[in-house]
Amino acid sequence: MPRVVVDPITRIEGHLRIEVMEEGGRITNAWASSTQFRGIETIMEGRDPRDAWAFTQRICGVCTVVHALASCRAVEDALGIEVPPAGGLIRNLVHGMQTVQDHVIHFYHLHALDWVDVVSALSANPAATSALARSISPWPNNSETYFAEVQDRVRRFVQSGQLGIFTNGYWGHPAYKLPPEANLMAVSHYLEALDWQRDVIRVHTIFGGKNPHPNFLVGGMASAINLEDTGTINAESFSKIQGMVQRARRFVEEVYWPDLQAIASFYPEWASIGGGVSNYMSCGEWPEQGQSRDAASNYFPSGVIFDRNLAEVIPFDQMEMREEVTSSWYEYSEGSEVALHPWDGQTTPRYTGPQPPWTYLQDYDKYTWMKAPRYQGRSTEVGPLARMLVAYASGHQDVQGMVNDTLGRLGVGPAALFSTLGRTAARGIETVLLARKMEDWFDNLVTRVRNGDDRTFNGDRWEPSSWPASARGHGLLEAARGTLGHWVQIENGAIRHYQAVVPSTWNCSPRDAQGVNGPYEAALMDNHPLADPERPLEILRTIHSFDPCMACGAH
Amino acid sequence: MNATTTLADESLSREAPSAEYKRVYLWHWPIRAMHWVAAGCVVVLAVTGFYIGRPYFFTSGAASDHFLMGRVRFAHFVAAAVLVATGILRVYWLFAGNKFERWRALFPVMKSDWVNLFKVARAYLFIRVEEAPQYLGHHPLQQLSYTGIYVLALLQVVTGFYLYGLADPGGIFFTSFAWVGSLLGGAQIVRFVHHVGTWLWLVFIPVHVYLAVRADVLHKESTVSSIVSGNRYVRADIEFVDD
Amino acid sequence: MYFPMQHAWTGEETLGEHLERQGVSRRDFLKFCGEIAVMLGLGQAMVPRVAEALQAVRRPSVVWLQLQECTGCVESVLRSSDPSIGDLVLDLISLDYNHTLMAAAGSAAESALQTAMAENYGQYILMVTGSVPLAENGIYLTIGGRTGREILEEAAAGAAAIFAVGACAHFGSVQAARPNPTGAVGISEIVRDKPIVTLAGCPPIADVVTASIVHYLTFGRLPDTDGEGRPLFAYGARIHDQCQRRAHFDAGQFVHQFDDEGARQGWCLYEVGCKGPATFSPCPIFQWNNHTDWPIGAGHPCLGCTERFFWDTMTPFYARLPGVAGFGVERNADIIGAALAVGTLAGVGAHAIATGIHKAREGKKITTLPVVTGSAAAKEKSDA
Ligand code: HEM
Ligand code: HEM
Ligand code: NFV
Ligand code: SF4
Ligand code: SF4
Ligand code: F3S
Ligand SMILES: [Mg+2]
Repeated sequence: MPRVVVDPITRIEGHLRIEVMEEGGRITNAWASSTQFRGIETIMEGRDPRDAWAFTQRICGVCTVVHALASCRAVEDALGIEVPPAGGLIRNLVHGMQTVQDHVIHFYHLHALDWVDVVSALSANPAATSALARSISPWPNNSETYFAEVQDRVRRFVQSGQLGIFTNGYWGHPAYKLPPEANLMAVSHYLEALDWQRDVIRVHTIFGGKNPHPNFLVGGMASAINLEDTGTINAESFSKIQGMVQRARRFVEEVYWPDLQAIASFYPEWASIGGGVSNYMSCGEWPEQGQSRDAASNYFPSGVIFDRNLAEVIPFDQMEMREEVTSSWYEYSEGSEVALHPWDGQTTPRYTGPQPPWTYLQDYDKYTWMKAPRYQGRSTEVGPLARMLVAYASGHQDVQGMVNDTLGRLGVGPAALFSTLGRTAARGIETVLLARKMEDWFDNLVTRVRNGDDRTFNGDRWEPSSWPASARGHGLLEAARGTLGHWVQIENGAIRHYQAVVPSTWNCSPRDAQGVNGPYEAALMDNHPLADPERPLEILRTIHSFDPCMACGAH
Repeated sequence: MNATTTLADESLSREAPSAEYKRVYLWHWPIRAMHWVAAGCVVVLAVTGFYIGRPYFFTSGAASDHFLMGRVRFAHFVAAAVLVATGILRVYWLFAGNKFERWRALFPVMKSDWVNLFKVARAYLFIRVEEAPQYLGHHPLQQLSYTGIYVLALLQVVTGFYLYGLADPGGIFFTSFAWVGSLLGGAQIVRFVHHVGTWLWLVFIPVHVYLAVRADVLHKESTVSSIVSGNRYVRADIEFVDD
Repeated sequence: MYFPMQHAWTGEETLGEHLERQGVSRRDFLKFCGEIAVMLGLGQAMVPRVAEALQAVRRPSVVWLQLQECTGCVESVLRSSDPSIGDLVLDLISLDYNHTLMAAAGSAAESALQTAMAENYGQYILMVTGSVPLAENGIYLTIGGRTGREILEEAAAGAAAIFAVGACAHFGSVQAARPNPTGAVGISEIVRDKPIVTLAGCPPIADVVTASIVHYLTFGRLPDTDGEGRPLFAYGARIHDQCQRRAHFDAGQFVHQFDDEGARQGWCLYEVGCKGPATFSPCPIFQWNNHTDWPIGAGHPCLGCTERFFWDTMTPFYARLPGVAGFGVERNADIIGAALAVGTLAGVGAHAIATGIHKAREGKKITTLPVVTGSAAAKEKSDA
């Protein structure tokens, strides 16, 4: 049985290595290994809790707001701080735009080349491409001349002989199924999305001063609102934000979502490939009034689904989480076999793998820097698919509407969701709903400001003198890639203990003490093809459908 | 300094009727001037410095109507410049001054200084007071503390000028004091050291003033006035180490 | 916009000339063009045109290594405006290796790297984000089973210019903060035989990165830098001296607490910990994300992210000065200093009282010094 190694997995965040066993064009066994560690949880100890958001934010520059937000929520929970609604709604807009932009970048710049053959776009007919584009969307950039221009630019690029980022792509691989016209349309939007993401993300710059890594603040946001001043959030800021929110929604509804459905329709078989684990979890997110500690007000509900049973949604409780290290390069003081809740979590690196340079990791019991999180002992998938499934099973109006509509159009049943394609489709559905939702939050914020409810920060417990001698709290949220939690313990004004369990920790989890695989591994072992081990395009498709982030997962 | 005079002053002779007093000229005017000017600068620098470090007065209204921090910083820098000037004067006088003012008398450089340092320190703890050697100028303990204070002044000056230079990269101060930053590990640390240095002054000054006044009250030896008039009146029957 | 590669830079060599120099004959070259034409589905008729294109001036090859990092720096460059990332990648440079964007993965990606380095040896631009973890023989970062250090040393050897992009490549950023569990260091600790241009920041502003590349391509040399290797055109001035809130600093108008009256009037953030006075960065001038705004502009104090070890020297972020290690976050220099000063005063007072008591007990002994002392002192003197 040939061993296939893909390292580095590219078009993701960070350093991921995939090893699989292939037999007769099928994957029979898989190992997912995260090969970077930094020790940020340890670095937090002894520091000012109010600084924690900035440190943990650097866990990842792709989902750049979520760790800062989770950290603020954790410290606020520990110190009993309520963020004023205006501050919370600003956080919603920043976090919401992060998710929308992150998803669109993922689709076009990280995932699309798994389905789209750039070289084939050269032989497309611009007129036919224009017709195709018109048939699926009213987006203005759909003229024949437009597509001809893009095609020409790409041709000049390719003919220069320097393929740059497209060098050694698996062009011409039989698994590419799109007609040239669809490829050209997707390539055009690949380029348009580059400009779009740069524009709409400026919501972060207005409220947080920059992106990546906009500024957060324990107790709210630092961007004070004063409509009458030049140096604050004023009418000009609001009109900019409104424009971005509108442009975000329009691009998502008229470009991203139509493209996704069009491309998906050429790959129906991928709706039965790469399902993997059968448990899904969401902690709920987007407090409608910006009050994150009021979990009931979340737009997307919390809940857990076991064994793909959409008839029952189990209530979510973070106390049911544990992290194991039997297959990870860490040791626990109580021994490697125990499973610890983040409150007692330990991050003690202990490398037992081969000395570099090395060729295989699968021969070792411990093979990754990723810990193995479990919910009630079960290997659980998180992310857009999990969120949509929990919402769907909970009877969420908007989600049910869009999911049923989409399944109908693709002519498949709900079972199709448990797949590589399902993950990618769920991400699109969620993006559409969030892009629309942001307009509500914007209106809500404007109304509050109009009524003088414009506090963005609560400083009652800012001074350490107002803190208890010892306190602990946790901050949960649904990040682009899934359920994120930070747990902090504060003693005498300083951080005593800090733990983060991150979406990609769940999804890239290695085998646990029972030998149960994590979601990536399980997905690769679920009815999974691998036609040509030399060009493992199929592996990229399924792994990318999770939108991996290694810096997040192993921090 | 052999000029011996008999004091007719009652208040003094009441304490020591038999004693013969002689007048000793210790500090030339440059030292005295330097001393009081420097003392003034330090007070100004500490006050303005702490304002810079943690502003405790504020203005409101249009920014263009006010320049509070600007003026405070200006005062700080002027005082700083003057302090440096007095320092230069003092260095010159280390070689031009009389034997009480020269470098040998200011810094504890002689073996005997260290031997006596112990005895003097002991005396301040009321142990074998009578064995304490007597000095006309700085006794070893003073030598030590003054050496320390000059070192501290130097520290404040180099760190201060480093911070001053930051506003004008490539400028003379920036380039000539860049080493301070690399040595201490960055502007923030330099500021910190500069800030802590201020507290050390606030530790030195009271001790220093106390000892000066104490010597006066206790021994009736007009120590304080010596830094004003330059003269000291001491008992003629005592042999002084540095006479 | 104009294309810098039309300007002179490291020998305007074309692939044709290059292959020739490598001993590739004209025949082999045309054969190679034929293969490309096929790959492009263009047919033999196109071969001469392909050859023609290939012999045109080449876009400079850029190899971008991503080591121990968070990808924030790459994301930042994705936000660049003039040139945009699209212009950059399609028209200005040939981004031959970059994990975030490249189509190829695994061995195909690694061979793309090897080819780029071989074909452009001594001429490619090396961009590096991320630090190099040295602890435990480098096992805290491996790519394809090799350590970050090995990969960096190999890539640096053939580079014409090296850019350290971001705080990680600069000094290790957050992972190098105390206690630096992985022994992370900046790339200048590894690459010592070549000048490195440091584009500081966590992350740096996109325009600083693109402008530095364009500077090199256009003027054929690296920009002048400061002691940290940071280009002067970007890092040549202190934030505090270019800040829009400076007038309020000089006026003595400060934000005491976030969202207070001062904050709502855009006053100076000095008192809530702004590190602008200790930070060199173009943020106030270039601003972020297509000149939209910047941290201080948006009401948050500067963290000093362009300065070496800012995670340790600039923290606590909301305090004016570093906390004193070992005294916990609350204990700042003032509390300790005040304690010292007060302690001194107390000591002075105590000594004064003690003196009084002593004097009372010993009577005249102190005031009228017996002649013995004098001679004793004299004896000392003669000994000395
Ligand atoms: C900021 C306040 C002050 C500073 C920084 C300061 C500093 C100094 C220094 C550096 C010397 C040594 C002069 C030399 O030989 O170079 C000195 C001497 C002296 N200072 Fe001050 N001084 C201060 C305030 C005062 C005050 C308020 C008094 C009087 C109450 C005083 C009394 C004396 C006396 C009597 C000497 C003579 C040297 C000796 O006692 O042997 N000083 N001072
Ligand atoms: C006895 C001597 C001095 C004392 C006690 C003193 C005290 C201080 C203090 C407490 C600060 C505030 C530091 C902080 O918290 O950030 C300060 C700032 C400063 N001092 Fe001094 N200083 C002294 C001498 C000097 C000298 C000789 C210079 C030379 C120019 C100087 C230049 C500065 C500068 C540039 C600042 C920072 C001001 C700003 O950035 O706005 N200081 N000083
Ligand atoms: N996994 C992950 Fe993140 C996200 N979304 C973190 O919470 O990407 Ni960097
Ligand atoms: S410098 Fe900052 S933003 Fe850039 S990779 Fe490192 S941590 Fe991320
Ligand atoms: S906000 Fe910061 S940089 Fe701006 S003036 Fe105030 S202290 Fe200086
Ligand atoms: S934190 Fe960094 S981004 Fe600019 S304002 Fe300060 S240098
Ligand atoms: Mg963790």
